[in-house]
Amino acid sequence: MSLSATTPVTGAPARPFLRHLERAGLYLALSVAAFLSVFPFLWMLVSATNSSGEIIRGKLGLGDQFWINLDNFMTQVDLPLVMWNSAKVAVLSTVLTIAVSSLAGYGFEMFRSKMRERLYSLVLLTLMVPFAALMIPLFMMIGQAGLINTHIAILLPSIASAFIIFYFRQATKAFPTELRDAARVDGLKEWQIFLFIYVPVMRSTYAAAFVIVFMTSWNNYLWPLIVLQSNETKTITLVVSALASAYYPDFGVVMIGTILATLPTLIVFFVMQRQFVAGMLGSVK
Amino acid sequence: MADVRLQAVRKTFGVLDVIKGVDLDIRAGEFVVFVGPSGCGKSTLLRMIAGLEDISEGTLTIGGQTMNDVDPSQRGIAMVFQSYALYPHMTVRENMGFALRFAGMDKQEIARRVQSAARILELEPLLERKPKALSGGQRQRVAIGRAIVRNPKVFLFDEPLSNLDAELRVHMRVEIARLHKELKTTVIYVTHDQVEAMTLADKIVVLRAGQVEQVGAPLDLYDDPANLFVAGFIGAPRINVFTGQVTARLPGAAEVRLDGFAERRLVIPLTGEAPAEGTEIRLGIRPEHLTEGGAESLPIEIDMFEHLGGETFAYGRSRSGETIIVSTRNGRHLKAGQVLAAGFDASKALLFDAAGLRIR
Repeated sequence: MSLSATTPVTGAPARPFLRHLERAGLYLALSVAAFLSVFPFLWMLVSATNSSGEIIRGKLGLGDQFWINLDNFMTQVDLPLVMWNSAKVAVLSTVLTIAVSSLAGYGFEMFRSKMRERLYSLVLLTLMVPFAALMIPLFMMIGQAGLINTHIAILLPSIASAFIIFYFRQATKAFPTELRDAARVDGLKEWQIFLFIYVPVMRSTYAAAFVIVFMTSWNNYLWPLIVLQSNETKTITLVVSALASAYYPDFGVVMIGTILATLPTLIVFFVMQRQFVAGMLGSVK
Repeated sequence: MADVRLQAVRKTFGVLDVIKGVDLDIRAGEFVVFVGPSGCGKSTLLRMIAGLEDISEGTLTIGGQTMNDVDPSQRGIAMVFQSYALYPHMTVRENMGFALRFAGMDKQEIARRVQSAARILELEPLLERKPKALSGGQRQRVAIGRAIVRNPKVFLFDEPLSNLDAELRVHMRVEIARLHKELKTTVIYVTHDQVEAMTLADKIVVLRAGQVEQVGAPLDLYDDPANLFVAGFIGAPRINVFTGQVTARLPGAAEVRLDGFAERRLVIPLTGEAPAEGTEIRLGIRPEHLTEGGAESLPIEIDMFEHLGGETFAYGRSRSGETIIVSTRNGRHLKAGQVLAAGFDASKALLFDAAGLRIR
């Protein structure tokens, strides 16, 4: 005689109908949430195949205007140049931000000092200051430095990111101090410990930070709008925005621009998806 | 192999004295164990020897050279950590050869040393694995291997077996003892486990609150502890302690009365002068010295037992309320509630004053 045949089922009595209903409700709510999230993206893809007039009329089906829209876009925009500008700014900004902020996060966590927490609090306080409040003094500083219309004007203010410093410090709490001790006994200097032990061990944290900073930097609009005034330096977000704010905007062309502006961030996210999730959960297991 | 000498070594964190002046001589090739309760400063002292903590005052010499301000990698030491501290992104082979590679050693010599250490520690089949693919015991062996390849003058072990299960701990303990016999290198080993200390050490250093309580061979500490703390820390189960008073000074002995046993007078032989009549004392008797026979005997009511098969620990209370443990090889017949006439030989009893210092 099997155990399952003789053992009475304990706990709440099974109520399959209620359980199915509960599950159905859950799936419905999740489906609505998923639809609301994905719809703008789908709408963007579909609209890129329609003419501006069809988009304004609210057409939701696929059209035959894609190649025309693309051709119009390519004639209006120097795509290689704006993509290069965006890529240059995003990659440099990401690499520099991560390099500086991870060093700061490592330092804040690893080195004991009386001033450590006070200094760290000051860094965190900068998170409370809205960018709108910084814009004008920052613009004046950049202007006085003669950096208007240069990509350095975008890179400089973004390098030391309080949020990424915070993120790295929190992640560093899980970095075993005994690894650092072992490395010191093995003869490594502090910078070597950082480079040869910390960075490889924390690679998931770096990957997650890369995704976050790259997306933020690629999608950055307001500050580039203020400091990049010549067409030669403009990034894709500025160009798409300019297309949309024309006197008679061609929304089909705008949608092509939006797709092209979205593609790199999508690629980065999908390529680094696993590392991103691991990094958000913590590098050190 | 080198000797290690600590002279008036202190460590302070701000106003906090963590190590309060330690003097210690460790001979070349000796296996020394630092033992003591949590927070006694044993790991801090080890880290000071390793160079991972600064020495606030005093002098540390290794092989006759002052090492206070020398970089950890230049001290001729190798350290094994409690959590193994293996580099997770490197294979076992890379982990073991990392320090040598960094020191600029020839690749062939690195390979030879890694291979030799792997053979000693039976790690050869695991050399291409990453640490996460190893068991706790294997990781610990890699950590030891990483230390061996450096051919250090002094091995430092910081509670290396604490993360292992009981069976593996015993196995690794034997491995470490065998390794020391083979390599004949000076070893400084930190543990809070007195069994590890007793079984591995040539010399035990008992620490409490940043101070050395006693230094000596394991059995010397067991048989002749300097104070009640050492007597309590060395030996498992713990030594039984009775409170009482001196009732008379006798030639070469003290007559004492124990609280709760007013009718009994015990004569404890001493090599020195007995304390004055009326002096408060503590009488320590090891559990294995309390038996059902013996010249002196105290009635102990038994509460519970631990039958280990070969021997039995009977837990009871003295009449004054102290927990008393009796260790016997013939205890299967004992029952809870039974009053045991726990006998002992007075020459095996250890006498301490009220402050816990030994009266010999």
